[in-house]
Amino acid sequence: MTERVIHLKDFFEEARAGRLTGIRCGHCGALAIPPKELCEQCHQRQWQPVPLEGAGTVVSFTVIRVAPRGRSAEVPYAVAVVRLTEGVSLLGRVVDIPFDALKAGLPVRFRPIELDGRTAIGFGPA
Amino acid sequence: MRRVAVIGVGVTKFGKHDRTSAELFAQAAADAILDADIAPTSIQALYFGNVTGGETERQLHMAPLAATLLGLPTIPTTRFENACATSHVAFRHAVMEIASGVSDVVLVGGAERVLNVPTESATEFFAYCSDASLEQPAGLTFPGVFALVARAHMDKYGTTEEQMAHVAVKNHRHGTLNPKAQFQKEISLETVLKSAYVADPLKLFDCCPFTDGGAALVLASEEVARKHRKPIWVLGSHAATDTMFVHEKRDLSRVTATERAAQGAYRQAGKTPADVDVVELHDCFTIAEIVATEGLGFFEPGTGGLAAEKGWTSLGGKLPVNPSGGLKAKGHPIGATGAAQIAEIVTQLRGEAGKRQVEGASTGLTHTLGGNTATVLVSLFGRD
Repeated sequence: MTERVIHLKDFFEEARAGRLTGIRCGHCGALAIPPKELCEQCHQRQWQPVPLEGAGTVVSFTVIRVAPRGRSAEVPYAVAVVRLTEGVSLLGRVVDIPFDALKAGLPVRFRPIELDGRTAIGFGPA
Repeated sequence: MRRVAVIGVGVTKFGKHDRTSAELFAQAAADAILDADIAPTSIQALYFGNVTGGETERQLHMAPLAATLLGLPTIPTTRFENACATSHVAFRHAVMEIASGVSDVVLVGGAERVLNVPTESATEFFAYCSDASLEQPAGLTFPGVFALVARAHMDKYGTTEEQMAHVAVKNHRHGTLNPKAQFQKEISLETVLKSAYVADPLKLFDCCPFTDGGAALVLASEEVARKHRKPIWVLGSHAATDTMFVHEKRDLSRVTATERAAQGAYRQAGKTPADVDVVELHDCFTIAEIVATEGLGFFEPGTGGLAAEKGWTSLGGKLPVNPSGGLKAKGHPIGATGAAQIAEIVTQLRGEAGKRQVEGASTGLTHTLGGNTATVLVSLFGRD
């Protein structure tokens, strides 16, 4: 394969429709979040897109109370690194989960959200 | 490869300035040239660092501008940008230019000015150093990145907010001994613990400030350096990179790039962590100092918090860390920080650090981290 099978634009278009997409290396089987050219493990270029279920658990999280310019209306908000059941992790905005319920290991589920005029990765209750 | 020495250092006062970044660098550079006591015409190149000039000052192409303001408008110049590690990256490249024999004398450093824009703008510009596709849209900020690290370290090792607060108290105490520090006032543990959360579990006093400032170093080959008063030798300088994506970090409680950069620098220098007498490391947040003291091999993983609590990293302790006050109290003009840390270690190894002098220090280490723990530089220094 001479071309990346999924670009950022495609990743977010799929995500907006509720479909989280990963890429799997056809040579060594490693799973990654796109976009990537070479596999970090075997350095081959044989990616295939794979649907991700969107279920996972919180690895680490924070509640952000000082936001970048133009986004102060969003605070406070939580951001978490989530390990998906397929084995890859993804960072996203936490939605519809009380801050005091957040902890490592909490099950969550992917959902697309619109933030700052763009599609962003969100995680809500499992 | 030829040996390289630092023969001149210059650092502006850190804090708020009415001068531009290029002016701040030129001022520090003139001080460094005077300190080196060399003819300005002997300088053969400028390696210059700045991060946010395009956003905060509408100024790009700042390296030749800095050379022009310094009064050396015809030397070759290069601008570096690797987030908060910027001028340490520039330093390593300047070392290589001399070690390889291309040049004998090189000027290196950087400057930053951000206090001319509102805090939320500075927060936004710094966040540009994280990934713009996945991380910025989710609202991740720099305190947010280190909050994720802090939470992981707390969950894995039981590190406490109080232990993190000890880092802030210690570095502010050190800052009172540094006339160039942005903050020169002691703070109490209670002040830190009662300050407002910025990104849980990090509070305002766990975070370094926004800062304007410049720093410069004159580097020279051994032949040139031997003619000068106290050359401080570069024993090793190593760079390591890790994935930009926070979600790809294998263990959020560690900064693996710090570990790899340190191993490379120790190997080059023929030194071990036990040989190090004084350290300037990247305490952009209190947790960052704790994790760095572990990654640099000074304390076992998980015990960096205890080291802070017990005072092992204070002036007078087992291993003084950040005698300058660190990024936390001295301030963090991101394009200048790496060079300013080296300037402090050079000053310490010369025995000219005054009230904050680590007595008898003969080997020093600097550690600078950029962005989402993606860029890390570690350098080791020694005296004759």
